[in-house]
Amino acid sequence: MTHTLHRMGSEASLREDYVVLVMPSKDINHEGSGPKLRQFLQMALEAGAIKIGDARLGNQYHQGSIDNLLNNVEDRAVVHAVFKDQDSLIKILQRLKETDLGLSVVVSGLFDEVATCCNRVGLDRHTINQSLGRWGRTDRLPSREILEISTMCGHGMVTVSLIQEVIEDIKNGNSTPEQGAERLFEPCMCGIFNPHRAAELLRALVVKEI
Amino acid sequence: MQIDPDLCIGCGQCLPYCPVNAITLEEDISQIDLDECAECGNCLRNAHCPVDAIYQQDLAWPRIVRSILSDVLTIAVESGISGRGTEEMKTNEVTGRFKFGFAGIAIEVGRPVLGARLYDVEKIAQAVASLNVEFEKNNPVTSMMSDPKTGKFKNELINEKVLSAIIEFVVKLEQLPELFRILEKVAAKIETVFSLDVATRICSDGRVPTSPYIEGAGLWIAPNGKTNVGLGRPLYQEK
Repeated sequence: MTHTLHRMGSEASLREDYVVLVMPSKDINHEGSGPKLRQFLQMALEAGAIKIGDARLGNQYHQGSIDNLLNNVEDRAVVHAVFKDQDSLIKILQRLKETDLGLSVVVSGLFDEVATCCNRVGLDRHTINQSLGRWGRTDRLPSREILEISTMCGHGMVTVSLIQEVIEDIKNGNSTPEQGAERLFEPCMCGIFNPHRAAELLRALVVKEI
Repeated sequence: MQIDPDLCIGCGQCLPYCPVNAITLEEDISQIDLDECAECGNCLRNAHCPVDAIYQQDLAWPRIVRSILSDVLTIAVESGISGRGTEEMKTNEVTGRFKFGFAGIAIEVGRPVLGARLYDVEKIAQAVASLNVEFEKNNPVTSMMSDPKTGKFKNELINEKVLSAIIEFVVKLEQLPELFRILEKVAAKIETVFSLDVATRICSDGRVPTSPYIEGAGLWIAPNGKTNVGLGRPLYQEK
């Protein structure tokens, strides 16, 4: 499940996009992990997360509310929090180090920036996962601008057609980029779609197309 | 997924939620092309059909594999977690799955956007099987093979359409150049795309052991990716 690995974009744009994933490992430390996963999500909100999510049971819209999402976290869940700046990322990494939940923590983002944040809080990076891009019939893919938005949901739930509909709504004055970005977040069941970054990308796309 | 024609009012609200454009308006009624539908559940969950015309039909074998590999909320029996893959590098500090001297490989067939037929997944699996790799047992894709040694899939599955299927295995670092050559060849023979992942331990001095092999092959590496920050416990002790 590499749903946060292949987020496309310029380095400037990706500087506003970090996903922190926390999960237990089956048969090693998953028993009793639910309350710890919930604690992480609460700490993430305090640290400035702009979205939280649960890949097992769905995002806040699917579950009805953020409170439901927090209350329903199970032992085998894979949970996430999305951050839009380094300061917030450093805060949550510091809290995770101090709290020592004993669960695995993975940060998706620019490698150099993430390494800097780890150094700041005294964490040693253990393993990385590199993206070597897209192979095969890349000629069949939509434009890079659309992919920069759609790849923020690695499971493909933020569809190209929906992005195009949102762009039209913004162009026609029926939606703001922020409203459009929030609409695009809804299908992303894991809650890893970054609406802050999406709003910026939508704004730029609409300006370019007008 | 199916749409009840007696209930559908033809509003078209569901159309943009299909990631593979399997829903069309025919004579003012939404219809789903069942051959193209990957059973991801996105239309049912998010289109908010005003008359509840969208419904999930019973999924039997072999169609059920579409849901396993496409619906993010389906829990795979093999991995015990939602999604298509496994814990892979995300828990590597406690599982020791990827050790120094090795690279974890994931070939995400169908990502992004296009989806894939399992015959294309089979082509890639059979190509990389020539390296004598062992496909990840906890990945549901491996269970869909009739012969995991050769990458051959069960015959009844190969035309099934999924949003993505992840082929996972481990190689020695020195096998990477040959793997890249194999993937370049097979990439020219498929109808879809795949995204390629390479996972590796980080050296104590910060070096990334895979990078010389990737750069040596003239391949692009994204500036962003995933970093396991080593907080899981108990820590796996590598000898």
